[in-house]
Amino acid sequence: MNSQLLPLLRNELAKAVRRKLPYFGIGVSGLLCWIIYLVADRVSSAASANAWGYIGFTMQLVFNDIGLIFLLVFSTMLLAEETGTGTIRAALAAPVDRWELYLAKAVTGLLYMVVLSTAVLLFAGALSKIHYNFGPVGDRFGVVYSRGMAARVFLMATLLSWIPLTALVMYGLLISTLIRSSGAAVSVGISTIYLIDFTKHLVGLDPYIFTKHIGYPWIVLQQAAQGVDFQWQPEVWKLLGLCSAHAVICFAVGLVIFLRQDLNE
Amino acid sequence: MSTATPALEIENLTKTFGRIHAVDGLSLAIEPGQMAGFLGPNGAGKSTTLFMIPRLVRPTTGRIRVFGLDIWRDFKRAVRPVGTMVETPAFYEYLSGRLNLELTARLLAGVSARDIDEILERIGLAERQHDRVGTYSLGMKQRLGIGRAMLGRPRLLVLDEPTNGMDPEGTQELLEFLRGRVHADGLTIFISSHLMSEVEEFCDTVSVINRGRLVAAGNVKEILRPHENIVRVTFAGAAPEADSLARGDHIQQVSVLAPDTLEITLARGDAAWLNDHLHQSGFRISALAPKRKTLKEFFLDITGDKRHE
Repeated sequence: MNSQLLPLLRNELAKAVRRKLPYFGIGVSGLLCWIIYLVADRVSSAASANAWGYIGFTMQLVFNDIGLIFLLVFSTMLLAEETGTGTIRAALAAPVDRWELYLAKAVTGLLYMVVLSTAVLLFAGALSKIHYNFGPVGDRFGVVYSRGMAARVFLMATLLSWIPLTALVMYGLLISTLIRSSGAAVSVGISTIYLIDFTKHLVGLDPYIFTKHIGYPWIVLQQAAQGVDFQWQPEVWKLLGLCSAHAVICFAVGLVIFLRQDLNE
Repeated sequence: MSTATPALEIENLTKTFGRIHAVDGLSLAIEPGQMAGFLGPNGAGKSTTLFMIPRLVRPTTGRIRVFGLDIWRDFKRAVRPVGTMVETPAFYEYLSGRLNLELTARLLAGVSARDIDEILERIGLAERQHDRVGTYSLGMKQRLGIGRAMLGRPRLLVLDEPTNGMDPEGTQELLEFLRGRVHADGLTIFISSHLMSEVEEFCDTVSVINRGRLVAAGNVKEILRPHENIVRVTFAGAAPEADSLARGDHIQQVSVLAPDTLEITLARGDAAWLNDHLHQSGFRISALAPKRKTLKEFFLDITGDKRHE
């Protein structure tokens, strides 16, 4: 029989667009963009340097807190809500392999990540157009980075920022397979990620936790926006390696658990 | 005996949760075109068994085949002709009834919008199809669950307590509808229920499990065949004294059910002999029939004692 991945993905999207949570996440993130816009010149020299700096600062701030929370909430609810309410039984009683459903859930989480990230970029881009410009980056001696160069750094930062966020979504999905009620899964997902984040320095785990890389691409963009020398390497390799490993491990462990789970509760 | 491939074949099925044997070496077969009842006390393992058919629960040992296809080796093909409703049906409450059906329909090849219209019409939810499921009553959700199980024209329906929360009229209507599908379309239905009268009235066969084990299985009419040696007699006028009858080799015991009705247990002979005997003794009889066992009595006979073993 043919793969059911596409129909499952259509189903997931049909459900997601009818929920309030994804829109609420986008709305709250947009509000945060507006607040940052109002206070940008008081909190960061990079944020008020130009549009690139404002976007870099806004993205770093949004996805270190509010965006991270909404992505976690969305991804931890993907399976936990269905196992909690029992709707997963109807989905799996159809001719569907469990891995197909799991993969469709993972793709849905990633799509929301891209949508939320793009929405915040659009908000930030629209707000920055009011006051700042997307021109070349310069200092008092002239142009340091051309507009094209700045745009390339921006594009690179955008793409790289999705890698730690992918690890975050997979972490949420793993929690979602382990805990069979959406409320408990969301609580555990958020509390553990903050617990890890707050204690990683104390116990020497900082180099091994992917959350440290969530803001990194945007910090580089802010450096470029201020006309200072910026370096992608060697940190970018650590970002790629560590975040990819986290994403793959969380996805694989969650999948194995889901494949073996009894869904009679 | 039928040589057709069974619609559902369960072979030596076992499921343990820790030290608890929820299902213990269960084997049964349901022939195509039958409505088969599945009975058992609470916690007997009925739902766990039904959960294992669409692989929602992994069996510890044993096999399940649907129309000859092993559900663990060939899941998608095996489960395609199966419509399932296990436990209280769950829905996406924030979606309409129709959209809930459409989500399932997308996973079953060949289900058109017209098929969904037809199902909604049959289950009496056509007018409420665009309302959110969260606004439906329990009975409506139950009907929607059955509608969902009927999508894709299944050849085997697996239903767990399908009439839960439905009013008597709705229950009767639904069971008559299902029975009609068995006759008209050759549908096979495997139905678990607490309501003995439902199973007795509508099912062809019944399987009874207790503590995860099959304790009885067979044709409902066979199981409930009348007791040849227990006869209920209604007299025209007052019944004779019980002691006056319970003499001799033939009559073993007499119980008074009502002033004009006795239940007579025969040691020898049958209802015809008793009729002659009473007539010759000068009694006027208005009704005489062998006692018919109800499914409830049968069920309690075979599960009641064993529950406290």
